[in-house]
Amino acid sequence: MIKVSNIVKKYGDIIALDDLSLEIKDDRIFGLLGVNGAGKTTLLSILNGLIDVDEGKVEVFGLDMKYHAKEIKDISSIIPQHLAFYEKLTVKENLDFFSQIQKAKKANYENALEINSLEYLLNQKASTLSGGQKRRLNIAIGLLNDPKIIYFDEPTVGVDPKSRNEILDSIKRYRELGITVVYTSHYMTEIEKICDEVAIIDKGKLVKQDLLDNLLSNRVSDKISVEIIPNENIKSLNIQLRDNCIIKTTKSELFQLLQILEDNNIYIKQIRYGASNLEKYFLEMTN
Amino acid sequence: MFFAMVKKEFLLVLRDKHALLALFVMPAIFILIMSVALKEQFNQDAISFNISLNDLDESNLSKKIITKLEEDKSFNIIRDEKDADLRVSIPKGYSVDDLKKEMKLNIIVKSSMKSDLLEIFKSKLLKTIVSLKLEYVKESFKQFSPKAVEPLDAITLSSKELFNIKYDKIQNIPNSTQQSVPTWIVFGMFFVIIPMSTIFINERKQNTLIRLNSMNISIFSMTISKIIPYLIINHIQVWIMIAVGMFVVPFFDTPALEINGSVFALIVLSVSLSISAIGLSTLIAVSATSSEQATTIGGILNILLGAIGGVMVPKFIMPESMQRLADISPMSWGLDGFLDIFIRNGDLLMVAKESILLLLFGTTSLIISMIILRIRIRKGL
Repeated sequence: MIKVSNIVKKYGDIIALDDLSLEIKDDRIFGLLGVNGAGKTTLLSILNGLIDVDEGKVEVFGLDMKYHAKEIKDISSIIPQHLAFYEKLTVKENLDFFSQIQKAKKANYENALEINSLEYLLNQKASTLSGGQKRRLNIAIGLLNDPKIIYFDEPTVGVDPKSRNEILDSIKRYRELGITVVYTSHYMTEIEKICDEVAIIDKGKLVKQDLLDNLLSNRVSDKISVEIIPNENIKSLNIQLRDNCIIKTTKSELFQLLQILEDNNIYIKQIRYGASNLEKYFLEMTN
Repeated sequence: MFFAMVKKEFLLVLRDKHALLALFVMPAIFILIMSVALKEQFNQDAISFNISLNDLDESNLSKKIITKLEEDKSFNIIRDEKDADLRVSIPKGYSVDDLKKEMKLNIIVKSSMKSDLLEIFKSKLLKTIVSLKLEYVKESFKQFSPKAVEPLDAITLSSKELFNIKYDKIQNIPNSTQQSVPTWIVFGMFFVIIPMSTIFINERKQNTLIRLNSMNISIFSMTISKIIPYLIINHIQVWIMIAVGMFVVPFFDTPALEINGSVFALIVLSVSLSISAIGLSTLIAVSATSSEQATTIGGILNILLGAIGGVMVPKFIMPESMQRLADISPMSWGLDGFLDIFIRNGDLLMVAKESILLLLFGTTSLIISMIILRIRIRKGL
């Protein structure tokens, strides 16, 4: 389990992470959402032991980052957003290099090749690979040390839909292998597709953390959308309409609103509880 | 782990064609061009004048003058006046016998002739005439008092016997090959900045350094693993350039390079110079924000250090103030060390000062680079 307690990270006057706490349970795909500059990359860097926190505590599998950064790095792996390998080397030379410096086992090497379907590209120079193949090589390198946790920092940027699906499918396999995955992406559909749990970070603070199903279910959201078939009466009611037909309200005001609509012969087309998808929910939570 | 990092760096450099051109082909071509182009400038024995002679006197004396001029290897007597640097005419009735009334030799000088060369010619001709006059004086005195002439026999006009000339360290002037080879070795070695910075900045930009750091590769290992490949590359450069000086340059009628000093001292000096070049290159690579910036800063710095350090203009022809300024450039330390070995029979002791300075410069640059890199990684690059 990863446990982050009240961490603060500042860059000069800028507060990148502000008293942030969260827990990531084992064997899950954990989605980390936030707009650019929300603090996701800083959090990933802290979880990887690349940068220190100013305040607070980070524990990974019971190891305190402050004292066991080396051990934590040995069991974790980061897949950077950029293609962090050598374009002038072949696929094999890249994999050989990264496995040798980590003293990786042969089985891990072969596993990384197989999961990412790179066997037939071994002798190809990395610079000549397609965008999707490059992404797969980038991921394969991250698997060489047989990690318990993998951090994916927007791994599908600039990838075609077919390769994206292949990458997402391979990430699901890591969960089956008992690896905890922390996944950041701007593509909400990807998060919806693969994540078990999601945390939303905004301006360095944790806005929401819950299971994906809970976030998307109607029960947890207080926001309700009432879609009406507008008529002349609606103008006199002084109610704010979105798209000329949607009234935003809350659970506590819903009954009163329905009564008013009934009294004024305004028909209701549908009532929707919560966000219809993660993207809408994310936008609501982050304004 | 270390071997893998060294191998990776080697593969990356060997696949960078532009870097290989800058590291090996450029200095080799410079050595050839500069050795051949400057061979006359550096070879003082090679000064010669094409002279046409017009003997209107046709006396014994004029024939003596002509014989003396012909004996001097500096004078190349030719018949065609068009090709002559100097046209010397001995007038009718010319005599050195009359010490009071002496006729003048007429000399027409080619307009393109440099004034310092004309001065050399005048001094050589003067020496010829003075020796003839001396001969005349001796002959005249001999008739009256043979004993009185004896001290005159001891008079010599040979500069070797008149002057005891010894060069100090700086003024020990090399020939064009001895100057060109170390110059372009030093300059070429500092060009490791190109592959180093390109690879380093790509690693930084693409987060490969972050990835390596997340794999528990320390900043020390990252930096040190870069030294070994470039140390080897620098040594390959040194021996290729020496081979060019020894075996290729002579094909162009230019003196071959000779290693007169200790080969061990040469290796020690080369290692020190290489550490210095790698240290500076690493410092630029970690400080720059883009490879364009690194290659521009590196290129300008190389040229400046080269200009100050005696690469562009040999140090021994610089004014004293510039020679003092040259001492701040590591290129000058390297160049002095190589010249010590090539032309002053230098041994390890002779190049110790230069080697220590270069090592200090290199290690200091590397330590600063590691500190900067650590700060940058902590800030997420």
